[in-house]
Order: sequence, then structure tokens, then C-alpha cells
Amino acid sequence: MMSDRLNSFFRYLAYALELVVCFALTTTPRLLPEIFGAKPALLVCVALTIAIFERELPAMIFGMIAGVLSDLSYSNGIGLFAITLTVVCFIVGYAANNLIVATFLNFLLYAAITVGLIFMLYFLVRFVIPGVEDRWAYFQAHLLSRMVQTFVMAVPFYWLNRLIYRRLGPQE
Amino acid sequence: MKEFFQSPKIKIFLSVLLVLIMLSVFTRNVQNNVVSTSLNALTYGLSKVTAAASQDEKSDKSFDELKAENELLSQANRELRARLVDYYDVKEENTRLWKFYDLKKEHEDFSLIPARVLRRDSNDEFYSFTIDKGTSSAISAGDPVMGENGLIGWIAEADVYTAKVSTVLSPQTGIGAVDNATGDTGVLTGSAKYADRNRVIFSKLNSEHKVKEGDIITSSGSAGIYPKGLVLGEVKEIGYDTYDTSYYAVVEPYDDIKKVVDVAVICGYEGQGEILTGASE
Repeated sequence: MMSDRLNSFFRYLAYALELVVCFALTTTPRLLPEIFGAKPALLVCVALTIAIFERELPAMIFGMIAGVLSDLSYSNGIGLFAITLTVVCFIVGYAANNLIVATFLNFLLYAAITVGLIFMLYFLVRFVIPGVEDRWAYFQAHLLSRMVQTFVMAVPFYWLNRLIYRRLGPQE
Repeated sequence: MKEFFQSPKIKIFLSVLLVLIMLSVFTRNVQNNVVSTSLNALTYGLSKVTAAASQDEKSDKSFDELKAENELLSQANRELRARLVDYYDVKEENTRLWKFYDLKKEHEDFSLIPARVLRRDSNDEFYSFTIDKGTSSAISAGDPVMGENGLIGWIAEADVYTAKVSTVLSPQTGIGAVDNATGDTGVLTGSAKYADRNRVIFSKLNSEHKVKEGDIITSSGSAGIYPKGLVLGEVKEIGYDTYDTSYYAVVEPYDDIKKVVDVAVICGYEGQGEILTGASE
């Protein structure tokens, strides 16, 4: 039987690979189909599902990496996604270990709230505060679809990361 | 709970958050900074591979069409390989440059740098993208970016090996434009309402304008940022903005900005920056 340390190494390696693959999928031109004018934010899905199984610090670190990659694919700087995913994943990591039980139903509730929160914040910072015209047209045509797709795509990542955590998680 | 707020974890969390906020401010305000360059260098290889993997998917063709095309190309490939070993490398480079040959011929003063789209992101609602050339190729922020058929954007940020291109679909874009047929002038800018239809707005038109469907809109070059005479698109409809009580025209660029793969950056031209220096006109 593998030691906890070795288990943790392979588990974190698996998470890192997930992030790299999702970054590649997200940034490859014309690879993922657009549904109602938007694609899911896969890096957000991965970060949120890792956070519900891991403790605060690993959750925060993977949230931060996912956020930096999300920001990087959008602009040359670190910004909204890095900060929000770092905060959200840290809080979720804490809550999942101390306040709530990481069941599927709890996950659905938490995913809906966090995905909604992250994208509404994104909408606020990118569109409402700069006063972009037709922002509600964009919201209806793109952002709603992206929120729903991100939420839906979080489900398979939940099961994948649950499997990884069960196989490679700390020994009871 | 009290223990949690006094634990080392919360201190680490707050430290990381502080560093991220500082990096965020730093990377937003310092062009060509070491953080962005390092992060881009880390993902450059991966992006190069993924960009190459999708380079030929220019249209949604059926499997049979692609298969037939593939067979034809394979046959041509065999014949050409027999003639010259490095023919394809030369041909590919030639093809990329040829697309911009007419532009160069028309504007001999243009200093053109061909580049390829390295990556796009689903987070970006105005279809901006990253190209595989940066400041090491003499590209700098504010340079106009051409598609095969006209202006498609401008360099928003540039680091050593890559550069981010904001497209004309973005509301941040503002280009002095003129209707070639009627001489009406205005400002070409992106709009969230029309961006997903690959269209932009030709706004601030005079109340007695004569702009009509089918007119070709070009850059006026009035501020010395975009060269005069670059094709911007064709008028598709005319509208009236009740908010600022002015007329506007909806213009469709000739390139499909969502699918563009090869671009050329205008790094220099005669008269550049003579009137005003900035990111947009």
C-alpha cells in the first residue's frame, strides 16, 4: 500500500494534469463547440471540484493556478479569476472539511452558488463598471449560457476528482 | 472558528491573496513585464501545439469532404515532396506572406510582420486572441493588425514572444473611419450587441449622412494611429441611436474574426504617430 505522501503526490499530479488538459482544450481555437454563443470555463470546473475534496491550502493553490491560467488565456496579466478562485477555493476547502459534508447534492448547491458568483463578479468588473453598452444583450446571449455550461460540466469533474480522491486520498 | 482565524493557514491565505493583488496591479500597469513574459513562456509550447492542431479547421466540413480533401492533399504532397524536400516549409511561408502581398503592393511604406494565432479563449467575449510574435519581432502596443481582407484589430499588449490582439469587435476599439462612396466620416467601434455576429458599429454619423447598405468603410487615418485607407468592412444596415440621438451604420468586416488564423501586424508606416500617439483613434 502506498504511503500518504506518495498518494498525495500522485493525486496532486493528476489534478495538475487536469488543469493542463483543460487549459489546452479551452485555448485551442475551434476545438470546443460554442453552444448559444459560449463555451464552458473548464478551469473553473476543475478548481471548484478539487476544492470540495481537498483541505484549504491545496484547494487554494489549485484554485490560484486555475485562476492564473484563466487570466493568462484572456490577458497578459493576473486578475479577476486568479483572485476570486483563490478566495472561493480556500473558503470551500475549509467549509467542506469543517462545516458541510461533501455529498453530491451539497456539491450541486455549492457549484451553482460559486459559478453564479464568479461570473456575476466577472460581468460586474468587465461590463457594468466600465459601462459597456449592450451589456445585458451580452449577458443574455453569452454569459447565461456559459454559466449553465460551466455548472453542467462541473458534474463530470466532480465524479472524476471524487474517484481520484478515493483512490489516492489519505488513508483512513 | 476562533482557532482557524489564528491558524497559520489563514496567514498563508492572506499572504497569497496580497501577492496576487500586487501582481494583478503590477501586470495591469507595467507593459512587457517579467511576470507576464514568464507565464506566457511557460504556456507558449503548449499553445503552439494546440494552435498547430487546429490550424487547418477553417470550415465545418463533413467527414467525407475532409477525407476527399485529405486524399487530394496527400497525393499532392507526395508529388511535391519528390520535387523538393523542403518545398512545404517554403510553400507554407509563401502562402502566409502571399495573403498580404496585395496590401504590401498597395502600401509600400508598410512594415508588415506576418503572424499566426496562437490561442483564443472562451472567456473572451470579443474574440481577442494571442499571436506568436512579440516585441522581439518589433511589434508594440497599438500596432494595427490586418486579416486577409482588412483591418481586424490592434495590439493591446505585447511581450517578448507573444502579443494580445484586441479585435475591432471590442468596444475598446475606436477607429476614425470614412465611407468611401459618400465621404461621410464617423468612428468605427465594437458593440456587445453585434460582436457575436461579427459586426461593428460605424457611429457618430452626421444627421444628413448619405451612408447606405453596401458602402465600403475604410480608415480615415485622421489621428496617425491607423494608416489611411485600410478596409474595415461593408455597411449592412443603418440605425438610429435614440440614446445619443445620432445615426449609426452596422458594418461587417470582410474577415470572419472568430476564425482568423493568419494575420499581419503593421509595425510601421509613413506618417505613423504624426498627429497623435495612443492606443486608439
